[in-house]
Amino acid sequence: MSEQVENLIRKDYAAGFQSAIESDTLPPGLNEDVVRFISAKKEEPEWMLEWRLKAYRAWREMVTPTWAHVHYPEIDFDSISYYSAPKSMEDRPKSLDEVDPELLETYAKLGIPLHEQEALAGVAVDAVFDSVSVVTTFRKKLFEAGVIFCSISEALREYPELVKKHLGTVVPQRDNFFAALNSAVFSDGSFVYIPKGVKCPMELSTYFRINELNTGQFERTLIVAEEGAEVSYLEGCTAPMRDENQLHAAVVELVAMDNAKIKYSTVQNWYPGDKDGKGGIYNFVTKRGMAHRNAHISWTQVETGSAVTWKYPSCILKGDNSVGEFYSVALTNNWQQADTGTKMIHLGKNTRSTIIAKGISAGHSQSAYRGLVRINPGAEGARNYTQCDSLLIGDQCGAHTFPYIESRNNSAVIEHEATTSRVSDEQMFLCQQRGLDAEKAVSMIVNGFCREVFRELPMEFAVEAGKLLEVSLEGSVG
Amino acid sequence: MSMGDFQQQALKLAARQPRGPDAEWLTDLRDNGARQWLRSAWPGRKTELWKYTPLKALQEKPFEDWAQPQSGWQDEIELLPIEGIRLVFVNGVFDEAQSDTLPEQVSLFSRTEGRGEEVLRSKLGTILDTERHLFAALSNAWANEGVLLHVPARTVLDRPIYIVHVSTPQAQPSVANLRVLVVMEQGARAEMIEHYVSAGRQQNGFVNALTEVSVGANAEFRHTRINLEDESLLHIGGVHVALQRDARCDSFTIAEGSQLKRIDYQVTHREPGGQLRLNGIYLAHGRQLLDYHTNIEHAAPHGTTEEVFRGIIGDHARAVFNGRIHIHPHAQKTLAELNNRNLLTSRNAEIDTKPELEIYADDVRCAHGATVSQLDGKAMYYLQSRGISAEQSRILLSFGFINELIQQLPREEIRDYLQRHLQLLFENSDSLIGEAGSQVPNEAVAEEAGGRH
Amino acid sequence: MLEINELSAAVEGEPILKELSLTIGDGEVHAIMGPNGSGKSTLANVLTGRDGYEVTGGTVKFNGRDLLAMAVDKRALAGVFLAFQYPVEIPGVSNMEFLKTAVDAKRRHSGEEPMSSVDFMKLARETSRKIQLDPSFLKRGVNEGFSGGEKKRNEILQMLLLEPSLCILDETDSGLDIDALQIIAEGVNGMRDGKRSFLVVTHYQRLLDFIVPDRVHVLAAGRIVKSGGKELALELEDKGYGWLEDAVA
Repeated sequence: MSEQVENLIRKDYAAGFQSAIESDTLPPGLNEDVVRFISAKKEEPEWMLEWRLKAYRAWREMVTPTWAHVHYPEIDFDSISYYSAPKSMEDRPKSLDEVDPELLETYAKLGIPLHEQEALAGVAVDAVFDSVSVVTTFRKKLFEAGVIFCSISEALREYPELVKKHLGTVVPQRDNFFAALNSAVFSDGSFVYIPKGVKCPMELSTYFRINELNTGQFERTLIVAEEGAEVSYLEGCTAPMRDENQLHAAVVELVAMDNAKIKYSTVQNWYPGDKDGKGGIYNFVTKRGMAHRNAHISWTQVETGSAVTWKYPSCILKGDNSVGEFYSVALTNNWQQADTGTKMIHLGKNTRSTIIAKGISAGHSQSAYRGLVRINPGAEGARNYTQCDSLLIGDQCGAHTFPYIESRNNSAVIEHEATTSRVSDEQMFLCQQRGLDAEKAVSMIVNGFCREVFRELPMEFAVEAGKLLEVSLEGSVG
Repeated sequence: MSMGDFQQQALKLAARQPRGPDAEWLTDLRDNGARQWLRSAWPGRKTELWKYTPLKALQEKPFEDWAQPQSGWQDEIELLPIEGIRLVFVNGVFDEAQSDTLPEQVSLFSRTEGRGEEVLRSKLGTILDTERHLFAALSNAWANEGVLLHVPARTVLDRPIYIVHVSTPQAQPSVANLRVLVVMEQGARAEMIEHYVSAGRQQNGFVNALTEVSVGANAEFRHTRINLEDESLLHIGGVHVALQRDARCDSFTIAEGSQLKRIDYQVTHREPGGQLRLNGIYLAHGRQLLDYHTNIEHAAPHGTTEEVFRGIIGDHARAVFNGRIHIHPHAQKTLAELNNRNLLTSRNAEIDTKPELEIYADDVRCAHGATVSQLDGKAMYYLQSRGISAEQSRILLSFGFINELIQQLPREEIRDYLQRHLQLLFENSDSLIGEAGSQVPNEAVAEEAGGRH
Repeated sequence: MLEINELSAAVEGEPILKELSLTIGDGEVHAIMGPNGSGKSTLANVLTGRDGYEVTGGTVKFNGRDLLAMAVDKRALAGVFLAFQYPVEIPGVSNMEFLKTAVDAKRRHSGEEPMSSVDFMKLARETSRKIQLDPSFLKRGVNEGFSGGEKKRNEILQMLLLEPSLCILDETDSGLDIDALQIIAEGVNGMRDGKRSFLVVTHYQRLLDFIVPDRVHVLAAGRIVKSGGKELALELEDKGYGWLEDAVA
């Protein structure tokens, strides 16, 4: 039976096409001039350039982290191009009609229609192609509600004070190697600002796409929810199939002021490499949220792509009664490696966190959960519940759990549970005896395993995530 | 003194040790150990295996050899009333007068002969993982004396081996290296109790103790390690076990904290069908530091591991528990479970726990769980509503928390001894189970506990 | 409906079934009885194609088709249903979802459109009431946390919804009290329509008071050693299985 399961995993990457779009790409290499070039290209204020240079100088002194349970050849940071923009974006389109039709076509192929009339009802989309944001939909409607949703480049021009106030407050420039690199060279990303007391009237979504060869993508996302504000945000990612590995090092910062609520969902489907482990995206991402008094930050991620994933969406529960959540499904197949999890830093009183992590490993892949729950002395009455479950499909893969629990307050209650199992022969037999083929049976069992996480996704995307899982698992049973 | 100095100094002391009559065959082990000890980077905060446990207490002292004990130390210790074969070591030196006559299966390294010597030569240092346990390298560099328990095939030792390691107060900071090798051949059965005690306070010493165990096919080994020394004694301990086909190992460990106490259990299922049970209790109070690292390697299929550790941490103490279970590829049908529960009894106490699973085989059942909490307010209230004082309630509940594990011990003498010792510890030490650090009077705590419901 | 001809099967190299032959006609109910270890459950598992059961000889024809050549799910789609002795739990997969997926697969196989969710939910609720299984069980994970009796009733629920042409009940009665047994028997009897066939595997005669068989076969050491009418079951009840040892020898 397990043989059957193994053979199920083998299917082409559906988003693996390339688009023939003329690009304006910086030659490979990184130095201060490159940082200056990017800043100038984006017409950034002087302080922003200084901010970037500070990050760049810090980065030069840092070394690549090696503690994660992932292995990949050393990255030559001078072989990467740090800026690539579709040529037609030079004269920045004022409306969708002016956007290169080939670009719109690309997004249509990905199932992300950017024409507002065709767009998913109630979802505003910001599309980032290689290094720049190409279009943001539904802006007018959001603007009426007082919500700012635009590219971070635009925000730096239009709302420099807002950006300056919050940028780097949650993830400082020198936080870690990849965050420092991102701070120096980030080219675009999304900016969201929800004013005091406003509930964002629709789901916000950003779609990231790497197209150009040898380009790194370093997007930066900043979401600020003022007192009592609420927002739900979703990002999706894809890249063409290429034999070379490509680097993606993003930073996401969330600021949830008192009583604010931010829900951040990710469906990550970067190109994972082929079945022999050739190519694929290196996904080294720093995501962190700061929760003030009574604030609520929730991370939900479905990770099926990338050759190597290194990602720990975290919450600093600074304010009393703040809540942090992390719901994750990480599926690895073939030769993929994922080291992902979260950090919950409890600083305030009665802070609460929940971690539900589901790892599924198939093929020759390795999947690790790495998490930290830290209760600081001041966090009276803090609570954490963690559950990490691993599901193994086939005997060539690995599933690992590395939870760090540090408690320095005796009124805290922490519970951690982890299990590892596989799709059992009995479960497969039952499903098949009821007329389901092997592939459907595995996908149903895996979906059931992930139920608690999928339930946290916005409705439209829960369906998509289930399908994505099915596609990613195809070929794992024969 | 810098850390490099400690490494050098420890080696100098090691080199000074008497080599005994069989010096030659030990030379390789010592040389390799010394090389590895020196080559290793001194552990710091960024060393994963020592992340929470600074070795500052070791680095600061200029160590010497242990001096002769002062007379009368015997009155300061309580031995277990075990009908067994007793071996007493004082400050690392065998005390013949206090020890029983040794049966043929038990000998000192310096006095092994014939088959025993062969076993020692071929096995000593072969069950170690010096990569994960740095101080095993120091133990090798130091190797001179120790206890060999060699149980031939199908032999059953009806009396347990009871090894007592006594340390006495010292004027100068002193180091002792303690070593035990157990080789159980096919179908053999034996039990060993290692008891670490100190006679009096102001110990001023550092003990590096290492036990290597090879449990042969279908053999059975029962091991108890008791570390209840004075908190001024620094202790680094290691128990490394290799399980052959269908071997069974039942291990229990209990330790109180000290300025620095770190104990590593390293068990490898080398062949199919091994069964391991490893239970442990750790208690830290005052400003103590206590660190247990366990690492179970399932390198063969059909093995089982059941591991339960419970800790009580009070006052300003810190405890560290790191439990790793590693299932190698092809170690199918492994069943492994690890459970770790912690009771923090003071607002200044700290626990850092990390249960780890690393799994490379699919047909396995593995689980771990860890909890951190304080005494259950409901239970506190319930006891007090029956007229039991808050203090007594805390003692009862804390004791109950660890007594579950003690009650599973098959040997009544050990159960009684530990229960009596813990009772005393709980009653005399506010800081382990009380709220000493918080200055909340007992009445207030009682009210608070009651008031929650 | 089913023709088993000199079927031999082994588990882990150990021969369990030895040249067993049995023919079940349309609409018939056959009971297989026998002591533990006689091969009753093996027969049920071999017929449905479970992994680990190796066919070493003989043929099985199901409505004229070579059953043994078909994959597990294809046999199910062709109309063979097994009510499990030990129903397995599938955490997180809701019973409703599971049932709908199975029913849809069956409908697709016979060229029908999948049922709309609303219609299906209505049908599932009605059916579960028939066997006195609270409809709330439809929302729970498949068999997750169900009691023994609830699991068995859930098996019958699946059988009612999938409408197979051959129902194999593997010790469905074991571990049930008399009330639960009656409920299940009613469910089964309600499905007897003169066309659908049943193979009831049981250790006890008790079940056959409620589901009255056309034929009773006694299985011992992998062979059918005796066949007869429903009265054979009563005879077994009186005499026990001890006499079989002589019969086999």
